[in-house]
Amino acid sequence: MRALVLLWSLGPLLWQLRTSLLPPDALVGQGPTAWTLENYRLVLSGDPPLWASLRNSGLVGLGTTLLTLSLALPCAYALQRHRAGLLGWGVGAVLLAASLFPTVLLFLGLLEMARSLHLANSLTALCLPYTALALPLAILILRAAIAALPPELEDAARLEGLALGQRLRSVLLPLLAPALASTAILTFLASWNEYPIALTWISRVDRLTLPTAMARLAGSSVFTVPYGAFAAATVLGSLPLLLLVLVAQRWIISGLTQGAVKG
Amino acid sequence: MSGLQLQQLSRRCGDRLVLEHLDLAVAPGECLALLGPSGCGKTTTLRLVAGLDPCSGGRILLNGEDITARPAGEREVAMVFQSYALFPHLDVGENLALGLRSRGIPRAERDRRIASVLELLQLTALVRRRPAQLSGGQRQRVALARALLRQPRIVLLDEPMSNLDARLREELRPELRRLLCGGEPPVLYVTHDQQEAMGMADRIAVLQAGRLEQVGGVRELYTDPASRFVADFLGRPAINWLPGRDGTALGLRPEHLRPRPEGGLQARPERREWWGHQQLLWLETPRGTLRMLLPEGAEAGAEGLRVGWRAADELWFDAAGQRLSAEGPWRQGLESGAV
Amino acid sequence: MIPLLAVDLLLMLPALLLLGVVFLLPLLRDAWLSLHASTVVTGLMAVPNGAANWWRLFDDARFRQDAFQTVRFTGVSVALELVLGLGLALLLHRPGRGRALLRALVLLPWALPTTVMALGWRWILNDPHGPLNGLLQAVGLPTFGFLTTPSTTWLAVVVADVWKTTPFVALLLLAGLQSIPVDLVEALQLEGAGRLTILRRLTLPLLAPWIALALLFRIAQSLGVFDLIQVLTGGGPAGSTESLAMYAYRQSLRFLDFGYGATVLMATFLLLLLPGVIWLLLQNRLPRRTA
Repeated sequence: MRALVLLWSLGPLLWQLRTSLLPPDALVGQGPTAWTLENYRLVLSGDPPLWASLRNSGLVGLGTTLLTLSLALPCAYALQRHRAGLLGWGVGAVLLAASLFPTVLLFLGLLEMARSLHLANSLTALCLPYTALALPLAILILRAAIAALPPELEDAARLEGLALGQRLRSVLLPLLAPALASTAILTFLASWNEYPIALTWISRVDRLTLPTAMARLAGSSVFTVPYGAFAAATVLGSLPLLLLVLVAQRWIISGLTQGAVKG
Repeated sequence: MSGLQLQQLSRRCGDRLVLEHLDLAVAPGECLALLGPSGCGKTTTLRLVAGLDPCSGGRILLNGEDITARPAGEREVAMVFQSYALFPHLDVGENLALGLRSRGIPRAERDRRIASVLELLQLTALVRRRPAQLSGGQRQRVALARALLRQPRIVLLDEPMSNLDARLREELRPELRRLLCGGEPPVLYVTHDQQEAMGMADRIAVLQAGRLEQVGGVRELYTDPASRFVADFLGRPAINWLPGRDGTALGLRPEHLRPRPEGGLQARPERREWWGHQQLLWLETPRGTLRMLLPEGAEAGAEGLRVGWRAADELWFDAAGQRLSAEGPWRQGLESGAV
Repeated sequence: MIPLLAVDLLLMLPALLLLGVVFLLPLLRDAWLSLHASTVVTGLMAVPNGAANWWRLFDDARFRQDAFQTVRFTGVSVALELVLGLGLALLLHRPGRGRALLRALVLLPWALPTTVMALGWRWILNDPHGPLNGLLQAVGLPTFGFLTTPSTTWLAVVVADVWKTTPFVALLLLAGLQSIPVDLVEALQLEGAGRLTILRRLTLPLLAPWIALALLFRIAQSLGVFDLIQVLTGGGPAGSTESLAMYAYRQSLRFLDFGYGATVLMATFLLLLLPGVIWLLLQNRLPRRTA
C-alpha cells in the first residue's frame, strides 16, 4: 500500500528526472539511451538563463517571507487578545475567507494597480501582493501558536517590568520560533509557486519568476517537443523546494494544521 | 497607613461582576490567605493588585499611596504563579536575570543578587538548567527565587503549591513562610486548599461569588463562622447539617459529636474509615446521617450507640445562611441532642 | 494606562491595510468595471454602459460552457481528492517505520509549483512519446491523445489536479484524525467494535468538520483553477478544458476587453459565494473542531 502511494506521488517526479538526463533523440525513441547533462546546459545558458528566474523567485520569496512575518506577528498578537470579542471574531472570519480565496480573481484589479502606480516589472513591488496573499494563513497560524502559550508567561514578563517591545522580542519571539518557522516556510512556498499575478505584473524577460519562466517555456513551443529541456527546468525548479520539504516537513505540517485548526 | 489596602475594589468582565466592592487590609509582614472555591474572585483580586488586569472600580493603596493606575511593571510586585511561569527558553540564571536586566541594574549588582538568592534556595548547582530539566519542586524554588530577587513591596502567591504532591507541600509550607512572610511587604496568598491557608496564613479571607464572606484569624473562622458558607467550606471532614425550624440549620462539626451513655440521639454506625489516629464514622440517626470523628482508643460497637454534643458547639444559621445566636426558638426539638 | 484597544488596532493596522488593498480594492474595482465598457474601442477608458456586460454574459455560450467545465472539474476532482485524501490520511495515521519520511515524500507534489508540474504532466501524457503512451504501446494498444481529444482531455486535467492536491487534503484530514482522543477509540474497541465500525461510528463523525473545511477550501480553489490548465492544455483542445478564470484572463489580456473580463471575474466570485454560504449554514450543525 505504501509502495503504491509512493509510486503515485514520486513516479511523475522521477520520470522527469529521467527525462532530463536523456538526449532529445532518445526521448522520441530514435536514439540510444545515453545519460547526458546536455539539457541542463541548455536551460542554464538559454535566454534568459533559468538561473536568473530561480534567483528572482528566491529574492521575491525571501522578501515576501520577511515582510509577511513582520506584519503578521504584531497582528496575530493583537488579534489573540481579542479572541473572545466581536473584533477578533470578525477579523478571524475575514482572514479565513481571504485564505480560501482563489487569488486568480484578483489579477485584473492588481494589474491596473501595477500600471497606474508603475509597479510592473519590479520584483520588490511583487512582494506586496505576495505578502497580502500569505498574510491570512500566516496570521491564523501565529495566532493559534500565541493562543497555545501559557498566558502567565506574559504576565510574569509584565511584572518583571518588560515593555511591550521587550516582551515581543525576548519572550514571545523565541517561544514562537517553531510557529515562525512554519509560517516562513509556507509563505516561501506560496511565493515561489505563485503564477497569475507574476504573469500579469512581470513582462521583462530577465525579471521572470520561475513559474512564469516555465509557462513561457511551455507556451513558446506547443507543438515542438523540447521535453528534455522542460524536464531539466522542472528538476532545477523543484530542487530547492524538495530540499525545503524534506528538511522542514514537520513545520509545514504543523503550520498547515494549526492554521486550519484554530482558524 | 502602611501595608496594603483594598477599598471597594470591583472587577467587571462584560456584564458579569467578578469582584464586588471588596474591602480588605493586609498589614506589613502579614500573610493573608484568600480562600474560596474556584471562580470566587480570589485570583482576580490578586491580578488586580498586581496590575495585570484593570479595576472596574475602587482603589488599591500601598503604604498610603494610591497605586490603582500604576502599570504592573512599576508596582514592584513579586508574584509566584500556579504554573510558575518560568520562561521555557531561558535557563535558571537567565530567567532570574531577565527582569533585573530590563530594569537596567548593572551587571555586577545583578550577578551578586542572583548568586545570593540561588544560594539561599540551594539552586546554585542548577543555574544552567532549563525549566524542562527541573522537577516540580525545583521549578517552584526558581519561581520563589525570582520573587525574592525583586525586593518587592508586595508578595503575591497564586496557588503556588497546587502542582506539587501532598508530601512536598507539607515540607515547603514552613520554608515558604520563612522566606516570604514576616518581612516588610504584605503577602497575599491565594489558595482553594483550606489546610494550606490554615498552615500559611495569619488571617484568612473567605470569598464566594465575588464577595467577601468573612475575614479573620484562622481559629476565629473555624470556631465562629459568620455564615453557613464559611462553616461549610472550612473543616474536613465537612460539617454535619441538621434542619431546624423555619428554614434554620444547625451545623455540628464531626469532632464535636461524642458517644454518650444516655440521652442524645440513637445512632447506628453504617460505615467507618480508619485514619490511624482517628476514625470517621457514618452514623444513621433519626435525624439523618451524621459524620463523627472518634479519637484513637474510643470504640463504637456495631450494634449502636447514643451520640450527643455540647450546646456551646452548636452553630446556628438562618435560611439566608447568616449566623444566629446559640439561644433561640430555633433550638426547639434539637436540644435533645445537646448534653 | 494606554487604552489597550488602540494599541491593538495599531498593531493590526499594517496587515489589515495591505489585505484591504490587495483583496478588497481589486474586487470592488471588478464590480465597478463590470458596469463599464473598457476596451480598445473606448481607448481602454472606462465608459459606463449599464448592465450591458451582464446581459452579454447571460447570452454568452462560451461563458456557459466554461462555467459548466469549471463546475464539472471542481466536482469530480474535489470528490476524488476527498476519497483518496481520506484513504491517504488513514494510511499516514497508522504507526509504522519511516512515517515522517513518508509524509514528507507524499507532500512533495503539493509543494512544487503548479506550472512546473503541469509541464511534467504534459510530457507524461504526450502522444505518442510520453511514458503513458509508451505503456499502452508496450501492451500492444494504440496510443491515445490524452491532451488532444476534446471529449476526454478534461479528465487528464482532473488526474493532474488530483495528483497535486490530494496530499493537501490528506494532511488536513490527518490533523483531524490526530485530534481524535485515543481513549475514544479504545473505549469503542473494548465494546468489541471492529475497524470498520470505528471508522463509521467514531472517526467519520468526528472528522466531519475537517472534511467540511477541506471541501470548502478545495472547492473555492478549484472554482478559480488557472495555473494548471493554462500550462497543461492552454484551455484546449477546442476550448474543452477552459475554466472561468482563464476566460476572464483571455477576455482582458488577449482581447483587451477589461469590462467584460471583470464581469466574468465577478460572476466567478458570485459562484464562489455559494459553497461559502452552505458551509456557514452547516457550521452550527457540525461538532466543533478541536485540536
